[in-house]
Amino acid sequence: MEDLASFVVDLALRRGCAYAEARVQSDFGDTAMVKNGNLEVVAYVRMLGLGVRVIKSGALGFASTNRLDRRSLSRLVESAVSMASASSSTLKKPVSLAPMKTENREWTVNEKKKTRSVSHEERLGVLQDVEKALSEPEVGVRLPGRMLVLTNWETDKIYLNSEGSRVRSLVPRISFYYMLTALEGSRGTAQRFNQFGGSGGWELVESWSLPESVSEEARILGRVLREAKAPPRGEIDVVLGSEVVGIVCHESCGHPSEADRILGREAAQAGESFMKPEMIGTRLGSDAVTIVDDPTLQGSYGHYLYDDEGVRASRRELMKSGVLNTFLHNRETAAELGVESNGAARAMGYSLEPIIRMANTFMLPGDHSLDELLQDVSNGVYIKSFMEWNIDDRRFNQRYVGLEAYAIKRGKLGEMVKNPTIELTTTGLFNSVDAVSKNLAFSAAMCGKGDPEQDAPVWTGGPEIRLRKVRLGGLTR
Amino acid sequence: MRFSELPQHVVQLGQRLGASDAACLGTHETRKIVRFANNEVTVTETLDSNALAILISRERRVLISGTEDIERARVDQSLKRMIETSETVAPSESYTPLPHGPFEYREIRGAYDHGVASMNSELVEYAKSAIDHALRSGAKRVAGILTCLTRGLRLVTSGDIDASWRSTTIQISVRAFVSEEATGHDVSISRSAAGFKPELAGERAAEMARLAVDPVEIETGKYDVVLGPSMFANLANEAVGSASAFSVDAGLSFFRGMLGHRVAPPWFSLIDDGVIPEGVASRPFDDEGAPTGETIVINNGVLRSYLHNSSTARKFGAKTTGNAGWIAPMPWNAVVSPGRLSEEELLEAMGDGLYLANNWYTRFQDRAKGDFSTICRDGAFIVKGGKIDKPVKGLRVSDNMLRILGAIQEASRERKWIRWWEVSIPTLAPSVWVKDVGITRSTR
Repeated sequence: MEDLASFVVDLALRRGCAYAEARVQSDFGDTAMVKNGNLEVVAYVRMLGLGVRVIKSGALGFASTNRLDRRSLSRLVESAVSMASASSSTLKKPVSLAPMKTENREWTVNEKKKTRSVSHEERLGVLQDVEKALSEPEVGVRLPGRMLVLTNWETDKIYLNSEGSRVRSLVPRISFYYMLTALEGSRGTAQRFNQFGGSGGWELVESWSLPESVSEEARILGRVLREAKAPPRGEIDVVLGSEVVGIVCHESCGHPSEADRILGREAAQAGESFMKPEMIGTRLGSDAVTIVDDPTLQGSYGHYLYDDEGVRASRRELMKSGVLNTFLHNRETAAELGVESNGAARAMGYSLEPIIRMANTFMLPGDHSLDELLQDVSNGVYIKSFMEWNIDDRRFNQRYVGLEAYAIKRGKLGEMVKNPTIELTTTGLFNSVDAVSKNLAFSAAMCGKGDPEQDAPVWTGGPEIRLRKVRLGGLTR
Repeated sequence: MRFSELPQHVVQLGQRLGASDAACLGTHETRKIVRFANNEVTVTETLDSNALAILISRERRVLISGTEDIERARVDQSLKRMIETSETVAPSESYTPLPHGPFEYREIRGAYDHGVASMNSELVEYAKSAIDHALRSGAKRVAGILTCLTRGLRLVTSGDIDASWRSTTIQISVRAFVSEEATGHDVSISRSAAGFKPELAGERAAEMARLAVDPVEIETGKYDVVLGPSMFANLANEAVGSASAFSVDAGLSFFRGMLGHRVAPPWFSLIDDGVIPEGVASRPFDDEGAPTGETIVINNGVLRSYLHNSSTARKFGAKTTGNAGWIAPMPWNAVVSPGRLSEEELLEAMGDGLYLANNWYTRFQDRAKGDFSTICRDGAFIVKGGKIDKPVKGLRVSDNMLRILGAIQEASRERKWIRWWEVSIPTLAPSVWVKDVGITRSTR
């Protein structure tokens, strides 16, 4: 396949392109879904194709195909070149890419136990074990809606560009996703959606203790239905669990730090950002808040070592002790803002252009225990998990609605509270943080962005954090 | 072997290898995209793909495969692997034989326009036209995406189905900015070049953005609200998606257990329409080969039907509604009934409240209950005495889907086709007046 990538890059240069890159990508996925105890389907997905990106007459063009004969590839290049040329008259200035070190690398993620070697019986056995653990006698609540989805997929890429870079990678990933609906008589329903995910082999599934973990979540749904009371009103202290901190870091720091949004390139869909290029160095949160995005974490769901522009990945300190420190860049935004790319360009399939994405976004831990965070809260709420959330398209007004949540009275966890709602501005939220725990934990998620939409595997994470003097939002429904 | 011959080959081979049912849907797609931002084109894209979706069932075991690796030997290899795997998996209770044809399909006029299929660089001119008209109408910055799609399908099944279909779609989504907080959004969607009006989308987006300058804040509370077509289309997507019997069965639908119940006012209907000519998702047959048609989900305010494929229909004791998806039934186009009033009369009828043009990021706390929130954008206004007054910012609708449907008061007689990033199911929607909608905003 490398010869095809090389053929495409050479052809683009011969057609007068100032820059060309080609990515041959193969994705193989295998999914099993059990709904309410019934194996609904076993499904395979296989994608194999080539994407080419060029700069012609100062304009950017992308084209892809899965017809991998040279005639089709020649038409592909012609298409990318002609459409880019046609758009160049709209440009105020030509597109340029920040310089990068030329790379010639191969990297893979190792599987301690190869998922492909695991029999279907064993894979389906995992789902059956979870299903058994969710019976009403086991979890104490009826679960009329149960959906369990186990997916593994492997991405094999060859990347070449006209500057001489060549990167080959092979990444196996695996994920388990579940959706539970609990029903408790007249109290109605409560739901929990959650995901496990990582890069690696079957050993990840074995480490997740899925029956125990999922059944515990089901028990909590039952308790939410039976026990949860209205949360306190007025100004209170709020402790957020790692899961909630993870989504906060992703939505309220990671997304607004994406330089393509900051420069307006996503304005029509996912929107822009309240962050501006001149805000680097501006305080947006308290000293306790340091948020990083790190693709290099071994075993993580968002792991990669080179991005889809061939740039070496590295940890990015987005917010450092409350101060905006850097943005997430590809080579185009880096050139625009006069910096180096920090390797955030990712494409989720051969047919998709690389765009700026998060990888694993999380708040760095501090040195408190959870008990210490709770200790001097006289009246507050601890929100351990969430379901509903959203944020405006400048990433400044957000809402997170708790699922598993407890009242805090005189430093101790008390009764469960129902759907406490954080509805705050981004600076309001980050400036309220006065302490963070030492307990770093991650959650897996798929992050959607772009048009056509690209779903990227990510981790979100952090320690528990304490917010001072927050007024819970929302309305009684 | 040509790609168009592969579906028949796959089904025949599948049957020879022992499948009791086999289906193969071949899709050839060319998608041309012009993305623009800050008044200039940011990237052009041409995405060409041939894809096969294969369903095999054997002794009640169901396997599905999607492949874009279309070399025949590898397709055959993949099929053999599916057959082998079928021996190792458990039978599915939801297994249902594929519908047996042949069927007569409804004609859908004007679904393919050769002019659209052959467009290339003129797409850039359309994008420029949208930008120019928005700027001339007062926008300072314009962003958006133009997509031109040509699609050919061939479905072959062991149920004696061999059906083909081709279609074109051209659509643009334009967002105009007068300031960061003053934005407007509009779309134009068509099967044909003649019906495509990017310049109008640009103008209307800019006009909305101009109205939205200098927004004020309002207090959290319950407000009467007129939801513009784009915002109501987003909620109608949630409603018609919740009508999928798969969602109902999985506990992911606020319509579970509601068949025969009143869920909206007596004049209100919501139809899933697979054959409406203007609906860009219309097609004559579903993924099982059953004829598509109109399924009345909500009729005169009463929930009448879920959307079914063969297996959900069997489970629910119903007939397929021609909405297969092999795994889950899927809506085609959502059509909301019109009201009796003009847009102006609708605001006058409401008197005081809010007008919300567009939204994004609809998320549920509990899909079975319907508790959700969504964020307003691209034009939100106070309405006083039936007239648009000041723009507002930072709003979130925080409510319940069943309550909103039940609190619909009236709708406009004008309707508009909506489809964009937040409205994936093409939807013909009016503006809709809803009573006592929960509105929240950030507390700090």
